[in-house]
Amino acid sequence: MIEIFKAKSVITVNPSMPRAEAVAVRDGLILEAGTLETLQPWLVNNEYSINEQFKDSIIVPGLIDPHLHPSMAAVLLPTFFITAMEWKLPWGTTPATKTPEAYDEALKRACTNPTHKDLFITWGHQELWHGPISRDRINSIESRKPVIVWNRSFHELCMNDAALDYLDIKEEDVKNASQIDFVKGRFFELGLGFAIQKLNPFILDPEIFSNGLMKLKEVVHFGGQTTIADMAVGLFNFDNELNAQKLIYENEDTPFRVELVAHATAMTSLSGGGLEKGEELIASLHEHNSHHLKFGKRVKLFTDGAFFAQVAQLMEPGYIDGHQGEWLSTPKQFEEIARIYWNKGYAIHVHVTGDLGLELAIDTLEKLQFEKPRFNHGFTLEHFGLSTPEQVFRLSKLGANVSANAYYLYELSNIYANYSVGYERASSMARIGSCFREGVTTGLHSDFTMAPAQPLMSMWVAVNRINEKEEVMSPEERITPQQGLEAITINAARILGLDHEIGSIRSGKKADFTVLSQDPLTIDPIEIKDINIEATVFEGKIFDIN
Amino acid sequence: MIPLTVICGYLGSGKTTLINNILQSTKKPIGVLVNDFGELNIDEQLILNQDDLTIALTNGCVCCNLNDDLGASLEFMLDQDIDAVLLESSGVALPVKMSNYGSTWPGYNLNQTITVVEGRTIKDLLSDKFVSKTVEAQIIQSDLIYLNRFSTEDVELISKLNSEYLVDDEKEILYESIFDIKNLLLKSKGLPYEDHNQLKSDVLQINHPIDEKTILKFIRENPGIERLKGWISDSDKNTWLVQKTRSECNFSISNYETISRLVVIYKDKINLETLGI
Ligand SMILES: [Zn+2]
Ligand SMILES: [Zn+2]
Repeated sequence: MIEIFKAKSVITVNPSMPRAEAVAVRDGLILEAGTLETLQPWLVNNEYSINEQFKDSIIVPGLIDPHLHPSMAAVLLPTFFITAMEWKLPWGTTPATKTPEAYDEALKRACTNPTHKDLFITWGHQELWHGPISRDRINSIESRKPVIVWNRSFHELCMNDAALDYLDIKEEDVKNASQIDFVKGRFFELGLGFAIQKLNPFILDPEIFSNGLMKLKEVVHFGGQTTIADMAVGLFNFDNELNAQKLIYENEDTPFRVELVAHATAMTSLSGGGLEKGEELIASLHEHNSHHLKFGKRVKLFTDGAFFAQVAQLMEPGYIDGHQGEWLSTPKQFEEIARIYWNKGYAIHVHVTGDLGLELAIDTLEKLQFEKPRFNHGFTLEHFGLSTPEQVFRLSKLGANVSANAYYLYELSNIYANYSVGYERASSMARIGSCFREGVTTGLHSDFTMAPAQPLMSMWVAVNRINEKEEVMSPEERITPQQGLEAITINAARILGLDHEIGSIRSGKKADFTVLSQDPLTIDPIEIKDINIEATVFEGKIFDIN
Repeated sequence: MIPLTVICGYLGSGKTTLINNILQSTKKPIGVLVNDFGELNIDEQLILNQDDLTIALTNGCVCCNLNDDLGASLEFMLDQDIDAVLLESSGVALPVKMSNYGSTWPGYNLNQTITVVEGRTIKDLLSDKFVSKTVEAQIIQSDLIYLNRFSTEDVELISKLNSEYLVDDEKEILYESIFDIKNLLLKSKGLPYEDHNQLKSDVLQINHPIDEKTILKFIRENPGIERLKGWISDSDKNTWLVQKTRSECNFSISNYETISRLVVIYKDKINLETLGI
């Protein structure tokens, strides 16, 4: 049976036929895009139906988020969001809370309902907006129930008296600890590690974790995504992560597929051997493949520290305050491990945040290209916080892809201009326009929960380059709406090596669509993020979004 | 409170050797935590300690690693009957950050941070594009700098290190050309020291194929060898686990990398000529 989806317009992202009015689908595959007339040859001798549900809507290829972390999301989504930025979630929009007073009010309203057994955990506190947090401050809002305030960057949390009691954290145990301020109830960096040790039974509780994965399912659908990538399986515990995702996502109610990319060093540890054993283990992972969850020949490596925590590695002149970034791999070992996967033909995805972290990845790629040249190799720079124009030129010549987190620019460019790296570098974070000009395959991702899992939001930032203070940052690095849409469809598909199957609407690809109320290519670009997403279609099946 | 000593230093600077030497110098039980990034989990196996007192972990950033291996291991060590804990950091860890484990984790106090600096590579590292700042910070931030494989001709470099990095009066540079463990332990209140017949330890890396016969010859030539453990890779690229106690020496096929690394515990001196290094 053939089903024809009629639309006001179909944006195919197929350069040879950019627009259509209808798409014919059979058994989850696209027969053709075109008009009712051009589709006729398929219809004369076959049964078909015409679906007019989307006749006043715009169909685009199913949106793709090529980098997020379901297991991190599963920990975070059960918490209550009180955030400085607005977060649209399927169960309601978290409004922007921008002052200390508003924060206290929001917390007061929220903490009557525990999020974890008897504990209430809220995420999103940022001192710059919400003022310094302390035990006394939370006590004054809620004194009886255990309340935990988790910082937006993940690197700090704060508890009230009831929570300290509940978790059995006593003054005499921690009073000398340099990264625990017991008086203020604050746990940061390693102190946070200690607190999380106490919290793990709650946040990693299998029931709550599964519930978190269910919530992520809603979030992904709500964002209009039909494909996501788990860009570091093994972050917590490989078996648990894989099994939980199989349990929650491997069924016909799931409106998306998950491309799984293994965390190289976690797999090396799991293999019990050295680097080569780790590679053998990753090579065997395709045995786990099922309909919705698949491992390809790709692997995740890391160079430098987290962008939100200001531990990205920077080239001169570094950070304004002179502090040091961090390496997540020893540079020499990064090269050794990259060489193993390069020589075995993998697509290597490298987490890079600062320009020095990026430089290490590019230098390594240049060496590997010299030793064993490869084409269309899929070496991808993930996040792409700070870069230089010269690096964009080099990575283009070396054939690398870029998967950027444009949202950094929205949330961080103003504060980073003032307090971290200065205006020039802050304004050019996520230097995406240059990537398109140099012909680099460039996609956009959320790294959820670093950014909302909403590809249209990422596209909006990349097209407008407006930050949360409504300043336009480096307008020269803006991209066109057409390029923006490519970045969250066909380019994202290329980055995952799935462009032969998804990423555009053309004969022979999977029938994955996202249905929009407005045309993202002709609407005022400033409204892109507010476009209503009506439904998604995953392999021909409609999944409405209320 | 258990004293925690943090050992920093770039890859190959000699952290494992230092730890083995500390372990050989005392009969007291010492817990060892080896934190690398899981890339080369070999060093941990070259630490000659009571098995359950050495733990390897692969901690990363707390925001992307809620399963805090290091924290869990520190908790585990609290329940063991030990006199001290040595924390071997990854090659790019900063002493200031690692020292927080000693000053933050309940049940521990920070003894000191020691950075191991290796004479043959330090010049290059201090001008390396990627790690110069990290290596410099390791030197500046640590309480004690331990120089490994410095020859006496390296006085110039040592005095440069002294003038550039020895800003803090309390900081001290030990610049013996081999590890002077006795000196280190006497200066370090948090590490047990007993002046019993002192054994030395070294980690040997061999970059060419080597076989069983050569190892047995090396052992015969060096009666001072008390223990030997590690991996050798022969010309057929087979890797063998080598384990020598005082009475016997076993070779068994191993699935490890094609890398030859041996830790050797010995009295007096050893002659490395046979191994070609
Ligand atoms: Zn990520
Ligand atoms: Zn982080």
